[in-house]
Order: sequence, then C-alpha cells, then structure tokens
Amino acid sequence: MNTISLKKLFNFEKTPLNVVMAFVTVALVAAFFAGAVNYILHGHHAYNVTRQHPWGLLISMYVFFVVSSTGLCIISSIGHVFGIPEFQQIGKRAIAGAIITISSGFAVIGLEIGHPVTMLIYNVLTPGLTSAIWWMGTLYGLYLTFICLEFFFLAIKENHTLSKIFGICGLLVGLAAHSNLGAVFGFLVSRPSANGVFYPVYFILSAMITGCYLIFLMYGFRYKMNFPEKVAIMLVKLGKILGMLLAVLIFFEAWKILTALYGDMPERAATILHAIKHPNFWFGELTLGMLIPFVVILLSNAKAIKATVYASLAGMVGIFFMRYGLVHDTLLYPMTTLKRAEYELAPTFVEYFPSATEFAIGLGGIGLSLFLYYLADKIFNLDETAHH
Amino acid sequence: MARYGMALNYKNCINCRACESACKEENGVLLLKDHYRIWVGVKEAEGQFPNISIASQTYHPSQCQHCDNAPCQQVCPTNATYYGKDGMVMVDPNKCILCTYCINACPYDARYVDQRTMTVDKCTFCSDTRLAAGETTTACQATCPTKVRVFGDLDDPNSEISVLLANKEYRQVKEHLGTKPKLFYIL
Amino acid sequence: MKVEISRRRFLQGSVAMSVAGGVSLSSSSIMASAATPAKKVGNEDKKVATLCEMCVNKCAAIAHVRNGVVEKLDPNPLFPKSRNMLCARGNAGIKALYDPDRLKYPLIRDGEKGSGKFKRVSWDEAYAYINEKLTKILDEEKDNRSTVAFCAGEGIAEHTFKSFFTMFGSSHFLNHASLCLATTVSGYALTIGGYGQSDLENAKYVIMAGANRAEAIVTPDTMDFFKRTNGRGAKLITVDPRFTNTAAKSDKWLAINVGTDLAFVLALTYVVIKEERYNKAFVENYFNGFDAYKEHILNNNYTPEWAEKITGIKAKDIYEVARDFMAHAPQAIYYQGRRTTWSKNDFQLRRAQAIFSALGGGVDVKGGICFGKSLPLVEHDVVAPMYANAKERIEKNEAAVVGGSGSWVAFRNMVLENRSPYPIRALFNYKHNPMQNMPNNKKTEEFLKKLDLVVTIDTMPSDTVMLSDVILPECTYLERTDPVVSYGGIEPSIAQRNKAIDPMFETKPVMEIMRGLSAKLSKPLFEITKKHDEDVASAIEDDGEETVYKDFDLTKPFMHDQEELNVHAVSKYEGAAEILKEKGVFYPNMNEYFKKLGVNEYEYYPEHKRSYSVRNNKFNTPSGKIECSVPALAKKGIDAMPAWKAEYEMATPAGKFRFITGRHAQFTQSGTANNRLLLNLVPQNYAWINKRVAQKMGIKFGDKIEVSSKVGKTTIKAYPTEKIGPDTLFFVHGFGVYSKALSLAYNNGGNDAAILEDGIEPMHGSSCLHDTIVEIRKV
Repeated sequence: MNTISLKKLFNFEKTPLNVVMAFVTVALVAAFFAGAVNYILHGHHAYNVTRQHPWGLLISMYVFFVVSSTGLCIISSIGHVFGIPEFQQIGKRAIAGAIITISSGFAVIGLEIGHPVTMLIYNVLTPGLTSAIWWMGTLYGLYLTFICLEFFFLAIKENHTLSKIFGICGLLVGLAAHSNLGAVFGFLVSRPSANGVFYPVYFILSAMITGCYLIFLMYGFRYKMNFPEKVAIMLVKLGKILGMLLAVLIFFEAWKILTALYGDMPERAATILHAIKHPNFWFGELTLGMLIPFVVILLSNAKAIKATVYASLAGMVGIFFMRYGLVHDTLLYPMTTLKRAEYELAPTFVEYFPSATEFAIGLGGIGLSLFLYYLADKIFNLDETAHH
Repeated sequence: MARYGMALNYKNCINCRACESACKEENGVLLLKDHYRIWVGVKEAEGQFPNISIASQTYHPSQCQHCDNAPCQQVCPTNATYYGKDGMVMVDPNKCILCTYCINACPYDARYVDQRTMTVDKCTFCSDTRLAAGETTTACQATCPTKVRVFGDLDDPNSEISVLLANKEYRQVKEHLGTKPKLFYIL
Repeated sequence: MKVEISRRRFLQGSVAMSVAGGVSLSSSSIMASAATPAKKVGNEDKKVATLCEMCVNKCAAIAHVRNGVVEKLDPNPLFPKSRNMLCARGNAGIKALYDPDRLKYPLIRDGEKGSGKFKRVSWDEAYAYINEKLTKILDEEKDNRSTVAFCAGEGIAEHTFKSFFTMFGSSHFLNHASLCLATTVSGYALTIGGYGQSDLENAKYVIMAGANRAEAIVTPDTMDFFKRTNGRGAKLITVDPRFTNTAAKSDKWLAINVGTDLAFVLALTYVVIKEERYNKAFVENYFNGFDAYKEHILNNNYTPEWAEKITGIKAKDIYEVARDFMAHAPQAIYYQGRRTTWSKNDFQLRRAQAIFSALGGGVDVKGGICFGKSLPLVEHDVVAPMYANAKERIEKNEAAVVGGSGSWVAFRNMVLENRSPYPIRALFNYKHNPMQNMPNNKKTEEFLKKLDLVVTIDTMPSDTVMLSDVILPECTYLERTDPVVSYGGIEPSIAQRNKAIDPMFETKPVMEIMRGLSAKLSKPLFEITKKHDEDVASAIEDDGEETVYKDFDLTKPFMHDQEELNVHAVSKYEGAAEILKEKGVFYPNMNEYFKKLGVNEYEYYPEHKRSYSVRNNKFNTPSGKIECSVPALAKKGIDAMPAWKAEYEMATPAGKFRFITGRHAQFTQSGTANNRLLLNLVPQNYAWINKRVAQKMGIKFGDKIEVSSKVGKTTIKAYPTEKIGPDTLFFVHGFGVYSKALSLAYNNGGNDAAILEDGIEPMHGSSCLHDTIVEIRKV
C-alpha cells in the first residue's frame, strides 16, 4: 500500500489517452451523480420502466457489473487459487477489479431498488428462501466480504494462506451468487424465453468471458500496449482460453436459439425471433460481443495481443448488449395480449427505451468503476509484488 | 378461514368498465398510468367489414388471480407478498423493497407500482376495504350491471360459487403454469 | 259590464305543476381533504340513499359519507329499475362532486362575450343584474314574455326550472327532446299507444337497430338482456353501420348503410305480409287499417331484393330475420331505441318499427313491448298567470308538430336569420349545453352572442356557460334532495334522491336559486306587466293590485321545502316518505315482495304481480287499436303510412364519408367531459375509419386527422378499424370542448357539434344527426 498525498493522488502523466480517460471518467461520474439526484427528486418517474417492463437499464447494468466482478474473480482464481503460475500475476489487479465492479453494481442497484433499507432489514427478518433474488443478494453480500478479505491479505497485509482461503470462499460463493442471478431469470415460469436451465449456466460462462475481456483491457491500459514478456505470455494463454470460451458461448447461444425456435412454441419462439432480428442482438451481442474477438483470436492464434485488447473493447460493448438483451428480451412478450381500452392497439412486443436518468446512472456506474480503479491503481500496487 | 375465489360469467360482460371505476373509487387507486387493479381485456373483432366474426370479439374481465401457487409469492425476497388468511395473495407494504421481481414473475400482469406508497399494489378482493367492513361482495362484483362476477368461499360446498363451479364448465387462465388460479371463467 | 271576464286570461289556465322545494344549506370547503382519496377501513359515518345523475337513467345509489366527505357510491339493490348496479359513470359521480373546475360562485361577465372573463359576485348582485336587464328588455318588448326563452337539459330538477318558466309566461321552452328521442316517442305513441318498455327479461328475439345497449346503457334493458344473449335464451339481431359492443353480443350483425333503416323495416314487413307470417288473430282484432297498409307495402314492392340495394343488407338476411322474428313472436321485439333522430325519415322509421313489432303481437304482452303500471304521486298545483302580450312560439310552423319542448335548431336558426316575427332577447338556461349538443356550433355561438342576456345555471363551466352573461352555480346531485319521482313500468317504483352532503362553496340547488331569483324579479316584472298588459290593468281596477299580484307572484312554486313537498307527494302511500328518506326506494308491498335470490340477484315483484299486460286489449291510440295509418298527419305533409322516398337516399361522394355519432359506456355526452376518473378510462375520443381506407390514405392509429364538413371542422386522432364501412366515419360525442375553464376537457379530442349540419326532420323539427358528409385530411 502506498501512502500518497492528495495532490499526488490526482496527478497523472498527461498523455492524450490519459487525458481522454480522465475526461470520460469525470463525465461519467458526474452523470452518475446527476442521475442519482434526479432519481432522488422524482423517484421512479425518472425511469422509463413500466408495469409491463418493470426492469430496465439499471438492472442490466447491475448484471453487467456483477458479471464483470464474478468474471474477474474466476479468472484471478486460475492463478491465485488453482496455482497456475503464469496467471498468478493478475491476482491483485483482478480482485481489485472485482471489488470495484461489484461496488459499482451495488451503487446502481441501490438506485433501482425502491427501499434498500427495508431490504436490509427484511432480508434478515423474513427471508424469502424460495426467492432467487434473496439468494443472489445474500450470496453477493457474502462474496463481496470474502473478496475484500482476499484483497486485504493480498495487497495490504500480505498473507498468502489467508488470501487463498478467502479466495476459494469468494470464488465458490461468487459462483453460487452468480448462477443464482441467472436463476432470477431462469426461474420465471411466466417467461418461456427465459425459463429453464440456460441462464444459470450461461451466466458462469459469460462471466469468464467478461473477466478475460477486462483483463485484456486493464493490461492493455496498464502497459500502454508495450507488454513485458511475462505479461505477454500470460495474455497469449488467456487469449486462447478466451477463444475457447467464446466458441462454447457461440455454441450455447446457437442451441438456445434453435431450441427456442424449433416447433414454434407459443410465446417462446416469437420472442426469440423478435429478439435476434434486432441489431442489439446481431450487431451488439453477436458481432461485437462474440464474433470480432473470436475471429481476432482465431486468425492470430491468440498471438495478436494488441488486436485482442481492441477486440476486448468491442467485446465489452457486446457484453453490455448481452445484459441489456437479457433483461429486455425476458420482458418482451406481454403477459396479456388483450386490449384494455377501446382506443389503443392490441399489445404486441413490449417496448422500452431507457430514460436519460437511467442512462446517466447506468453508464455513470462505469465512471465509478473507472474512478475507483484509478484510485486503486494509485494507492495499491496492483502489479505482482517482487518477492512473489 | 375461507378460501376466496371468483367465478366470472364473462359472456355477460359488455365491456362497460363499471368494475374498473368502482375498484378505483373503493380502493383509492390513483388515476395514473399503469395504476389499475382490475381491467377488462378485449379481444378485438377479426375479419373485414362487413364480414366480421361476431364470436371473435370477446371481453375478459381480469385482475389478480389469487393463485394458490403464486409465482409472485415465491419470488419475493422479503416475503412481502404473502397468502392472507382467506387465501388471498396480499402485499405487505412495510416489507416491500420494490425490487419489482413479482411484477416480472406474475403471468397475468396483475401487479403495478403504487406511486403513493412506492410499493407493489394489486387486487386484494377488497379485503382491506369492503370485507373488513363486513361486506360480502367485492366492489367490482357489486357494481356490475350484468352481474358477471360471483365472489365467494371455494371451501364452502354450499356457497354460490362452489355450486356454480360444480355445475358449469369453466376455464382458467394459464393454468398450465401450475399457478392454480382462483378466477374461473364460466363457459 | 265593464268587466270582461273573458279577457282575464290570466285566470283561465290553471296550469298544474308539481313543484319542487329547497333545502337549507351551508357551504363547506372540504375540497382539499377530498382531493386525494385515502384508503378507508369501514365505519362510515352515514349511508345516504341517493339517485345517480351521471346520465338519464337515475340508478339508485348509496353514498358513503364520512366526516362530510362522500367516499364511495355503491349500488342500491332496492330499485327495480337499476337492478343493483352502478356503471362506470355512476361510480365516477364523486369526481363530479369534487371536480376542482366546478362553478363555485355566482359570476357576471366581465369582458367581451366569449372572452371567458367573469367577475365573482354575490347571489344578490347576480339576481339584481338579471332583474335590471330583464325589466329593461320586457319594458322595451311591451311585456312580450316570449322574447325570453328557456332551455333545460334532462334531470329530475328540470321540473323546478320549468315551474319558473311556466310562471314567467314565455312560449319558448326548449329542451333536449328535439335533439333526442322526440320522433321515437311519438312514432311509437301514435302507433301502439305508448313508447313502452321492451321486456328484455323475457323477449326471445330482439332486433336492435342503431340502439347500442352495451355501450349506451339503459336500465333495466342492458342488465336484463345481456345475461340472456350468446345462446342463452334471447336471440339478438344488431343492425348498425358499426360493429359495436352490442353487435359483438348478437347472433347476427347486419351492417346497414347509414340512414336506410326504414327500407330495412319495410322489407321485413313485406316478407311477413307477403308470406302471411304475421299474428293473424292479433292483427284481426287489434289493428286499425291493416288492409290499406298491406296493400301499401305490397303495391310498393318493398321486397328484400329492393331493400338490399338501398340498405346493403343481403335479401336473404332480411328474409331470415323476418321469418325468425315471427317464429319467436309475440316474444319478439323490434327494439324502440331511444336516441337522437338520425335522418329526415326518422318518425316514419319508428312508426314502421312499431307496426312491424305489432304484426307479431308483441305489444302489451310478456316478452314484448309492455306499458306497465305507474304509481301516481300527489301533485302540488299552482295556478300560473297568463300574460296577454306573450306571443306564440316562433318556430311553431317549422315542422308539422312542434310540441312543448320546441325545435331547438329551428328556433335558433330563425333567431339568427332574422326570421323571427319578434326579437328573442334573453335565454334562461338550466344545465343545458347547446354549444355541444346542437349541430353547427358556430351558429349556436352566434346565437348566444346575439342575445342581450343569457343566464345559465350549471355545475360546470361548459362551452355554453362561457358564452353566458350571468352564471348561477348549482350544486351537484349529491348535494341536494330532489323531487321524488315515480318510475312506471313492469315493476313500478318510487325513488327519491336524498342529499348526501351540504352544497359546497356558494352553490345552491335549483329550487333555492329559483326561490331567490323569483323573489327578486316578481314585483319589478309585475310592474312591467301592469304597464303594458291591458287585461291586468283592468283586473287591478276591479280587484285591486294586491289580489291580482297574487296570481302573478312568481315565488309561489318555490315556497316550500323540498323534503316537505316530497312527503306530501307520497302521502297516499303509508310509510313511504320515511322509507324513501332512509332507503331511497319505495313501492307498495316492498317488504313482502323484495327478495334476495343470490349473491347478485334480487326479485322485486313476484312473477304474477308484474305488470306485463295492462291495456285490456285497448291501446292508447285514437281508435284504441294499432294505428297503421295516421291520416291527420297527412294534412301537415307527413305521410300517413311509412313509405320510402327516393330523396331518402343520400349518396356519399367518392373519397368522402357519411358522419355518424354516438355514445359509449364511459361517457355521458359533454356532461362528463371533465371527469377525471372517466378520462382515466377513456382519455379522448378517436375517429373510427375503415382500416383499408386509412391504409390507402396513409393514416395510422393515433395519427391526427382533420374532419371537415360544410359547416366546420375539428381535429381528432384516427382509429383505423374494420368495424366500420369504407364510406362511414364515426366518433363519440361530447369531446373537443372549447371552454378553457374545463382544464381536462379543453381541446381534448374531436367535437362533433362543429361539423354536424343542422338539418331538421319534418315531423317535430328534430335535428338529423346522421345527414352530414365529411372529408378528412391528415394533419
């Protein structure tokens, strides 16, 4: 842990990239707080969520952040928990990232849940044990505690044994929490397009992919694309893992879509067909999120690290669309297709577009992550410590 | 202890929406977007003028189905949604954290966010208004011009609703989901 | 010798008026506390039996009042007419009571007419202002009382206002009849001896043409009937250019060309006469002039094939309906309908319907058109004065029979076009909104601006109120006890509206307003009469001023308390007054007859006590029989027998539309235009346009279109649907209000009064609401 003055804390090398990043971070953090103030003033009116589409961008962004966190935790555990040497160097940076992203996620969801204090009280007093949200929330709380302790024994009071124990706990609880988050959607019997085993499993897979993307981005930024050899070796291996994971994901998605369309089951087939026709899916999710990174890795045999860093940027944009699609596509099909008033059209696919406040808070959450990462990078030494 | 349900002679329904306005007045439902506890679903006529299929236009008075196996109850993280003593699915506004998971989970679009309490609200079969005051009918039932609704105790074999259900064919909405709804549409 | 008794006309006519009285009042300002209803739990302070006034039906309701606030209206199961129900509008009555836009204080115009500028005055100032204007007008017009016109909307308290009119001595009373069901009522009355009540609880076959009972609710018809449709005992044939909610409940929907119903009925008649399917015994015994009618129908060849070309209804459907109808007769009804006049042939249409119904014998019989019994009330008579200088009705020759309720359109147009033999200078208006309900509102506006004095009594600042000079705020129906009313029918009863809360702000019931106004006007107006009326002058010479004034005392009908008058009105029924006050409904043997049959159902009269057949085979017509022919009318240019004329066929030019208007179940014309609850259900009206036509014109759902006719235009959103034909356009009446004082209704939706042409039919001068051709343009 570095002890630094406040002045030094906000002093950085004024490279064009750094200046752009600083500007983006400040703008996003400002947006977050502006959105938060607007929400506090106007409540849920500030959001475009409706009775038919009760969840929106903020839930998507929450999922986006916690998936990132879980992903970083899983990837870090390759070295740190499972002891694969090349990956041990990423432990601290990844765990810091995991803490930061989940904290941003909690900040965002805190502005979505109507009564967070009530939640803390009645989560304990009258727990809903059949509720995936209860398990997900409780386990994520526990997870955050574990990875904080893990980080503490990694970066502050170095204790390899304890950090490994907490790392294992964090990993297991994180996996449980994360597949429960998948179950939040998978348990929805009323939503045939989401209901079933797919999401709880897919969530783990997509978390690992997200973790890889973030590692590439963090290292790309850390080393300004001039990777030391040790890092380069690790990133090439990580790229191969990423390639394999993407192949599995593409395989998963393909079968999910095919089984949904096959037989034209009511509600399910129409919903998925509608979803995959939208550019959010075929451009956002598929092209940016899977195909571009996959093609880059495949063509370069994972050796084009720089290209993979850029592809990871596309990948993260794609991951955003995956999370957005997860929420929106689940809610696409209206629960009743009957009209309620004479002068309206019969309900078809439910429409939703986030409000400015939702964008401000949701994307502002990324600013929180960037800012916290900047601080973490300044305060802690996130690189591998020498004696290790 | 009763187990309340409602049978609907929905063929009587003329889509006059008296039930909707009675419900809003009885239960103080705010006159805002998305705020409705009950509604009349309209399946609009099919065909081309003048060859309209008469049978294709139908009216379906709808509201919370007070499922015996309610998805909204299962997903509630704080048990704010609970089964009331007479089998009604109820929301305790003090426990509701407004995660709106229940709104996602309800297959019937029966729930909404009440802007006054900022908690999830829904049909209560008028239990905290009319039934609490000793009435035996819900507001929607009492006011209905063509007497679509029969509200009563499903566990009492002599109640009008039990007799009706024993003697008439009926259908339920989305019962394949295993929700065991307590609204019965008399054919 | 010098006394010519015969000249004392003011003593001749003893005009019987059942009179209404007033109640004490105190204003309260509970608006704030009632603005947001809170969830309540039991323990109402009191339950008051009232009668709804959200539409014409007057359903019995129980008002739950707590701490002086009306919290809820529930149906009152005791009333046989409303059968234990309140519709959407009935439930929304509280929103009318606590509407922030209500008229709260007397107002006098304070700016150009139509500027919407008014100043608040005291009641006395308002009365004094009216007095000043009125004495001037009557002095200038030499006490021609008919220069002051009176108009009224429908309502129980209309009677009270009419007493004022009668005492005042004008010839001009104009109410909704000529904008409503005048032709229908007289068509049936002159043919079968009464408009009657369709026994829809027992009818087996019903033709509803234009009548839309699922959306234009009428008690008890709506409630009785739709429990039995859809193959459950009653067959329903709906004849309508639109596929209405009623059509959706029918066994057959016949999409008829607008304005051609008469041809349809004549063809039905042709089939049953030609095939001799009518009830021969009934026709033999109870028809007058059947042979001539038979000859008329057959000779004119009103065949279904002929009608198909006119009506657009297939001949085979007409055959089928005619045969089915007679197969179910006498439990078969061609439903009277009770709405506006549609076209110039409306009176003949109703006659033809009545005759056709009667051909099956379904008159004064269970399951047919019944006349029922009434429970008479004790009248409170006041002698009204006669004014020698009051001239006769100006529009009396504008139609064959202009009755006591006048022809609004003809009257207005004569005034506007300076065709009136003497000037019309003032208008007293009670709860009537001619700006909205009369076709061609530009003319109505001009008419109202032309008058020297317009006094309007209303609860809401309607378009008409905004064009008035003096506004007198009435309290709403929940704030007043109204005259007790007797409702005749198969299951007759008496009902009474009891005050739920005291009038708010400075509003008053019309009885109270009339009491105050007449007290102010009575003497000064008598002075004018004294000055110009020779009869009165000579009477004073004979009997002294005090005695003569007694006859002219305008305050007489308004001296008694309303509750006192109500007690008197039902004095012949023991215990009725108390029961009416407590329960709102009374009929003899109610305790014994009234039974709860189930959670929803009640029995009011045992079957054998219901008044299905009351005429003893003698109908209330001149001959005592069903009148096929009315030769007396022929002299006035009205066909003695219903006949189709080429002029009835009105072509719709390509690219244009025949405009029709109507009702739906969440709105009562313009009266509910500002009701928050109802607007929550239906935020505005939309124009029905055929989907394929709309597609060709590039019009999508919700697109704004401008609808224009010869007389004006209005803007409205489009509702493309296959429920209407390609050459017809429809939207619901009552929206598109001009008054900015109605904050929710202002400029909300399309206004039909702006585009409807103001043609009238020849029988009563009723306005034809379906004779307008419009074109549309996307904006």
